[in-house]
Amino acid sequence: MASQSTKKRIGTADWLLPSAFLVLILFVWEIITHFFSIPEFLLPGPMAIGKSIFSDRSVLLFHAGITLSEAVCGFIIANLFGVAVGTLFAYSKTLKRGLYPFAIALKTTPIIAIAPLFILWFGNGPISKIAAAAIISFFPAVVNTTRGLKSVSQDSLDLFKSFSAKSYQLFMKLRFPTALPYIFSALKISSSLAVVGAIVGEFVGANKGMGYFIIINYYHFEIVKVFSGVVVVALTGILFFGVISMIEKKVIFWAKIDE
Amino acid sequence: MSIISLQNVCHQYDDLEVLDQINFDLDNGEFVSIVGPSGCGKSTLLKIIGGLIKPREGIINVKNSAIDAELLERRSFGFVFQDPILLPWRTALKNVELPLEIVGDRNSTTKAKEILSLVGLKEFECFYPPALSGGMQQRVAIARALVVNPSILLMDEPFGSLDEFNRDRLNVELLKIWQETKKSVIFVTHSISEAVLLSNRVIVLSERPAKVIAIKKIDLSYPRTAELKQSKEYIDNVLWLRNQLKRE
Repeated sequence: MASQSTKKRIGTADWLLPSAFLVLILFVWEIITHFFSIPEFLLPGPMAIGKSIFSDRSVLLFHAGITLSEAVCGFIIANLFGVAVGTLFAYSKTLKRGLYPFAIALKTTPIIAIAPLFILWFGNGPISKIAAAAIISFFPAVVNTTRGLKSVSQDSLDLFKSFSAKSYQLFMKLRFPTALPYIFSALKISSSLAVVGAIVGEFVGANKGMGYFIIINYYHFEIVKVFSGVVVVALTGILFFGVISMIEKKVIFWAKIDE
Repeated sequence: MSIISLQNVCHQYDDLEVLDQINFDLDNGEFVSIVGPSGCGKSTLLKIIGGLIKPREGIINVKNSAIDAELLERRSFGFVFQDPILLPWRTALKNVELPLEIVGDRNSTTKAKEILSLVGLKEFECFYPPALSGGMQQRVAIARALVVNPSILLMDEPFGSLDEFNRDRLNVELLKIWQETKKSVIFVTHSISEAVLLSNRVIVLSERPAKVIAIKKIDLSYPRTAELKQSKEYIDNVLWLRNQLKRE
């Protein structure tokens, strides 16, 4: 009981301190822009950005909604496939040895380099963005699923062997639950990556979404709007990450989660 | 009547010889401890008896019917390891139900509840393992081994990670459970005093490659309690066994 309450107190402090620093940083930022009279097209102050976000709120919400839904679609597809491929890799050494190098090669290819091809293949619509989001969020799930499924101890394998467990029972009752914390840490990583993927797709060719909003305002030299776009994109990513973290805490209630 | 007999069991890992011609019998309902220096191959021997490892040589007869280790009906064994290995996403009750679920037993909940109250954890059914003390976790593990109603309980230093106070308590409780359920038990430990307190017989193994260097019958009457440790007969038995190990 005692440890529970200390945990909670640390939780609030974790939240409080960054907020205090955020306010401080915004304040200093605002002061600097006024003190050195930095023009708005170079670095607008937080007040100006805030005002712009408020007045453009419905447009921003629309574009953010587009981007988030592309990111979520890509995220779901990528992780379903990622967990499946990771499982295959965990069970087949041949597949893992044969395909892992290609997976790594594809992973190290920057998404921005492949994005134009997706526009070529899948057009200007949402599918190309979903593809970009999916490709970039695929690998964490593969790697972590493989690692998680293999992280079961020899003792617990012996225990299941002594029960004469069949291999599907071993998977469902031991390997998969053991791998879940690993899989969730991949989901958290790829939740932010998926937003990046969708935006890169929109940069290359789109007529809606946050990537489009940022690029088009940059061309029109509406730098305050570019900044408000960046802030909204960051908030979108944080929201997605936050939702996944909440689900994680509910699902793997038994595991110690490192933030 | 013997329920298990080992004949010339030898085993090696690659070039490392672990077991050298192990022979002994376990009588039905008997409590036998195996003691020996750490790393001598006690755990390997237990896993071979339970059919988890196939020995390089030798025969293990279970209930007088010679069968290949691979064909061993594993359900006649209940394992308890040093680490309780409870699944943290299952409650105490669900952990005990696990082996029954695997064989598709429909009365798993009723049976698991019965066994949990036998080990004195009736009120802790709904607790998750991290909320239980080390001793309680090990009692859940014992319940999980008993729930399939095995004829033989194989225990590998089950109380090795507990403090002495808890170890004494669980030893006495184990004796009670043993007398109630009438299981045959093979109990691996490196504590001679624990072995003497619990067993009908103590088998002493040598350094690796392990050979049987002595089999000692412990003629102390049951029920035994931790107070027995102050008696002269008890101390004599412990000293005799300690000398066997020293002479090696």
